[in-house]
Amino acid sequence: MTSLFEDPLLWVLLVVLIAAVFAVTRARRTNVQLRASNNTLQGELVTTRGQLTDLQARHSSESSRHASDLEEVRKDAESATKATLKSAVGTLATLAEEQLALLDELQQKYGDHRAFLADLMLVDHTGSQFSRRTKGISVLCGGWLGRRDRDASVYDVARSAQGRIRSFERVRIHSQANVAVSSRAVEPVAMVLAELLDNATKYSAPGSPVEINVQAVPTGICLIVDDAGLGMDQETKARAASLLSAGGAVDITSLGDPPKFGFALSGKLAAHYGFHVSVDAVSPYGGVRAVIRVPESLLTAELPTPEPVALDTSDEDEDEDKPTPIASLVIGQTAGGLPKRRRRRGGAVTVVPSSTPEHGSDEVNAETASRLKAFARGTALGRDSDNTEGPQNQ
Amino acid sequence: MSAPREETPATSGFVRSYVITGGRTLPSEGELALHALVCLAPGRTLPPGASPEVRAIWDLCAGGYLSVAEVAGHLGLPVGVTRLLLSDLADQGHLLRRAEPPPAQGVPRPILEKVLHGLEALNIG
Repeated sequence: MTSLFEDPLLWVLLVVLIAAVFAVTRARRTNVQLRASNNTLQGELVTTRGQLTDLQARHSSESSRHASDLEEVRKDAESATKATLKSAVGTLATLAEEQLALLDELQQKYGDHRAFLADLMLVDHTGSQFSRRTKGISVLCGGWLGRRDRDASVYDVARSAQGRIRSFERVRIHSQANVAVSSRAVEPVAMVLAELLDNATKYSAPGSPVEINVQAVPTGICLIVDDAGLGMDQETKARAASLLSAGGAVDITSLGDPPKFGFALSGKLAAHYGFHVSVDAVSPYGGVRAVIRVPESLLTAELPTPEPVALDTSDEDEDEDKPTPIASLVIGQTAGGLPKRRRRRGGAVTVVPSSTPEHGSDEVNAETASRLKAFARGTALGRDSDNTEGPQNQ
Repeated sequence: MSAPREETPATSGFVRSYVITGGRTLPSEGELALHALVCLAPGRTLPPGASPEVRAIWDLCAGGYLSVAEVAGHLGLPVGVTRLLLSDLADQGHLLRRAEPPPAQGVPRPILEKVLHGLEALNIG
């Protein structure tokens, strides 16, 4: 028995057993603890997941609100920029217009002085370009073009547009179709045509001609601008098409640096006044063919062709009261071979008859007429001679 | 969309003078003086493609002699621009030119004084 107690193996076994029991107990306790903590963690995980979902939802709502706020701010900034520019550039446009009117007067005043007139024309040319630029920016910012008070022939619209670009002498107008653009659309069509001509002259070789042809179509007329440049690449074409169809709803700060206003402006004016602009065709010379299609609603009846000269033998006094359309502005060998003067109109001669009667009191007219008659009698001698080429004693 | 500005009339000339001249050099004042008279040559037909200004000159000058200043006045164009158009037509043989009428002979001062006195007398009467 003693030997059994003294057997070290027994002690070793006992120690091992005790250790095992202890270890098992400890493991069980740890296990229980781990389960408990696992349960706690599971609970926490669920809570955290819930919070995460909440946060995600909040984040997405915040970010969408942020985007809309940003959009709003951008729009506000855009409209503020436009408002400031509209007001500032509008003032410049008005000044430019005043300057052109002043230059008209000065050219009349110094018309007989060749050197003065030539210089004034140079100033006039830069002034016209300045006016076009300022009007363009003003329109894109919500301003409006000045309105013309009379219809203008398509030919005059084309010539007016021609005068607003730098290289105007490269432009050839090939048609004098007897169609007039109604007063409301005169200025916008001329502006858009000027933008197209500006592009055409800028993106083609210096010195190469740019042509304007006028073509009647069933729904109106087309003003066709052909240049001999390299044409536009696909990207530029796509940009042009999108600006032309945007109706002017473009961010003016997105037009590049330096900003290219032309297509955006054309799109805006075309949409507002109801005509159509396209630049996606190829000209016969390989460059761009730009087309403005003006519908019938913006055209007026065919202009009267100037009538053959008729000798006016009616009574002078009576005629003083009448409006005198240009076709009848004839010098008659009347009561004394007196030419009747037409009321002056600034700028170009159009073949649209004036419909504004000139009102003047009869007394004034009679007085004027008698004075003119006296003058006419005085100069009749110098006029009614049938001599052809006289000497040039200058 | 429509603002009052839209209705603001544009008052400047619609077709600018340098477009009418095509940017060409203006003739000198001496070529067709302000008082020189021009008239359409007989039997001429309007050149095809004539500008509205040339058509207007054609109508104006068909009836008899007009001075350069009068033609410019009727057209509402600066004299220099009118002169260019007229000298083009003259170069093409469409226009006849006559020198301006000679200036009036000097009238003796006593006669003028007599006339003045007579007028003053009329005015008082």
